[in-house]
Amino acid sequence: MATLLSVHNLTKYFSGLAALDGVSFDIREGEIVGLIGPNGAGKTTLFSIIAGSQAPTSGKITYEGRDITGIKSFRAVHAGIARTHQITRPFRSMTVRENVEVGLQFGRRHHSASLGKEAMEILELVDLHALAAMPAVTLSVGDLKRLELARTLAARPRLLLCDEVCSGLTESEMQSILGLLRRIQSLGTTIIYVEHNLPAILSTCHHVIVLNFGRKLAEGPPEQMRNDPAVIEAYIGKKTEA
Amino acid sequence: MNAPARPSGAGETGGTVLRILRVAAPLALIAALAVVPLVDFGANSAKVLFLTFLWTTTGVAWNILGGFTGQPSFGFAVFYGLGAYTTALGINGGLSPYLTFPLAAVVAALASLAIGLPTFRLRGPYFAIATIGVSEAVRVIMTNLQFTGGASGYRIVESIPFRQADHYYSGLALVVVAVAVSMLVRRSRFGLALRAIRDDQEAASDSGVNPFTAKLAAHAVAAALTGAAGGVYARYAAFISPDGVFAFQRSVAILLMPIIGGVGTIWGPVVGGGIYGVVEEELTARFPEFHLLLYGALVILIILFEPGGVMGLLARARRLFSRRKDASWQPS
Repeated sequence: MATLLSVHNLTKYFSGLAALDGVSFDIREGEIVGLIGPNGAGKTTLFSIIAGSQAPTSGKITYEGRDITGIKSFRAVHAGIARTHQITRPFRSMTVRENVEVGLQFGRRHHSASLGKEAMEILELVDLHALAAMPAVTLSVGDLKRLELARTLAARPRLLLCDEVCSGLTESEMQSILGLLRRIQSLGTTIIYVEHNLPAILSTCHHVIVLNFGRKLAEGPPEQMRNDPAVIEAYIGKKTEA
Repeated sequence: MNAPARPSGAGETGGTVLRILRVAAPLALIAALAVVPLVDFGANSAKVLFLTFLWTTTGVAWNILGGFTGQPSFGFAVFYGLGAYTTALGINGGLSPYLTFPLAAVVAALASLAIGLPTFRLRGPYFAIATIGVSEAVRVIMTNLQFTGGASGYRIVESIPFRQADHYYSGLALVVVAVAVSMLVRRSRFGLALRAIRDDQEAASDSGVNPFTAKLAAHAVAAALTGAAGGVYARYAAFISPDGVFAFQRSVAILLMPIIGGVGTIWGPVVGGGIYGVVEEELTARFPEFHLLLYGALVILIILFEPGGVMGLLARARRLFSRRKDASWQPS
């Protein structure tokens, strides 16, 4: 499969502190790639840089063979990279449907004429169509996560960056979101998925990248990562001989 | 998943009546205001109404940036003043007054770009503070600019004799245009971008909105309307000075109106402008120094108890009314 995104030697300093330190990896088209690591490993920072919310200190990102390092986030969206936020950020004065319409109107370079219909189709995909006319602020946490996804999907991304779409959800809500991610992937979208919840990652992803203290610790298929001693050490701690 | 909370169907006919009223009421108001000069009910009342049109125009304009887009500016006197001086120079240069008004709008819009390019890199309170600085700087420059008379002001000499009705209809036409523009912006794709920016600028950018250009455009539209109002005022006043049209107090007055009426709504600035325009005249006459203090107190009260202004109060009353009605409709 072709490489869609390539991150090379990415480094980000926050006033002397390295949040990311020389991270490199490739994302192949059509996969769901899990990005895991303990708190503060640099996962969200990495997302923000790929999606254009922050500029890296150094390093290079290529997407579809094009250098997109330091691109503005709305340009990243137009290029086909869209992200969700770990803490959902709905447009608070708008209804559920208007939230999605923002993504439809501005997320692509060519916006279509049948907005209302498309908005409803996307809301149906994430199972929010019954709440289309509700003010976004009235939604539950789980529904807000769906709305965040719906708004991003409205931009028709080729690469979707999902930041902890399952945190704070019940087991059944989580399973339904994971099912949704698999469906989005089957419709042709590549997904990078940041998650704290290891079972969620291991059951959904084709490939896993492990970050720790801003560095890439390991990379490989999920089963292999589960048994990797370095990964276990980062998550649980080192085994000591008594 | 929860069902929609509000029971529907209770007010079908009420909804239709409301919709007709929503179109008919503004048209009736325009018609009534249009016949006022024909009835001749006193030069002073006509003057108060005319000034109210101008005030309202600036309030409606400010609201496009401060309300719809959530970027409060304390520097709108700059656009008013530049519009006033553009018209003044234009008329004295031999142009038709009606040609100078659009020119005033263009000059103000260009100035808004010059101000917006650096200041829109700032956010929230920093943008507001920067607009104060820019506005004071422009006032000082105008005070020292020799060819417009500097601090002693600039006189406008028109070859056509003064007719109150000309000014009155210019003001009325301008305020109608301002409200129409505000409505169009609100309902357009552009308006959706502005709302997204106001709600969450980063999320807007993550959804593909370019916040910088959208804010620049909102600023330019608002500045153009404000500049035209300054132009219409200058022609009426026939004498302008930097301490008048560029005064910081004017910037404050411009943002007072939407706050009184209801920030971010279509009719809030109109209601606020109506109240301000009429009350201002009385207050300044009675308490020449004291009246600003009264406005200050009023704004504090509004922000504390009803940030939605008059429109917020109306919405609250409507909710109260419909809740009672709904309760009586419930079958239990």
